[in-house]
Amino acid sequence: MSIATLSDVEFGVELPTFEPDTSLKTVGTFAELVGWGGARFSDHEAARKEGLAGAMVPGILSQGYLVAMIHQWAPPAEIKKIDTVFRAPVIADEPHAINGVVTDIDDEEGLVEVDITVTNEKGETRVFGTASVKLPQ
Amino acid sequence: MTDNVEQKDIEDLRERFLNRDFDEKEFEISAEKTISYARLCGETADRFLDENHPDFQASSTFVASLSGRRVLPQDFPKMGLGMDAGKGVECLQPVRPGKKLIGRTHVHDIYTKTGRSGRMVFAVSRIEFYDEDGNHLANSDSRVVMREKSK
Repeated sequence: MSIATLSDVEFGVELPTFEPDTSLKTVGTFAELVGWGGARFSDHEAARKEGLAGAMVPGILSQGYLVAMIHQWAPPAEIKKIDTVFRAPVIADEPHAINGVVTDIDDEEGLVEVDITVTNEKGETRVFGTASVKLPQ
Repeated sequence: MTDNVEQKDIEDLRERFLNRDFDEKEFEISAEKTISYARLCGETADRFLDENHPDFQASSTFVASLSGRRVLPQDFPKMGLGMDAGKGVECLQPVRPGKKLIGRTHVHDIYTKTGRSGRMVFAVSRIEFYDEDGNHLANSDSRVVMREKSK
């Protein structure tokens, strides 16, 4: 169900899972766009030589996936605040799930708090955080 | 070292560094760049992807991709290997592509956590973004964690 107003939101509801494009091509293009062109974001072999499990998704791209997931759930949502902790690397070319759950609704301010996570196929949380989202009343 | 002495050094750091701008940088934000950014993140809303949309704006976390010249002040002590511990963004007003942004950086917070491997010092570096008219549009926080060397 697409959310249009605050009254559509239920406490505790899980947002529809978003499956991001973590392909090496997308990740490398993103890294280059933001000026982080480096082998660790575009080349699995080179990243492994740096001791990583493979080329990494930049943390800010994971943050972007989380926000995209919220906008797909609630198209008019305005992100007021998002805070993310990068617990472990998100590896490119591996499937990940972007999830969220509503943990608070402030009717007076029109704000919804969403706990957000990026998890890999093993169910390991790689990135977590919270977002405060404003919705029309 | 006692807890009090440990915390005294953090209090000294807070006194010395918090809330003092140490960097200012201007950013030119192109529509082409913010559209690509939004698309790669998976945004589908026209207000992020269509330059002709009446509410066209950069995606909410775009400012997190903008870096100042330094993350911490030049004279901030090296307390161990610094690592990226997370990022936060606060959106106050939309960032409109095609307009200049001014980013001013200060240390917003310094705190510690103690785990099995010892004390970790966290420093939050905040860039406040303003438009040319001085309107405060957004804040971007970078959390740096420094694991102290064993004593």
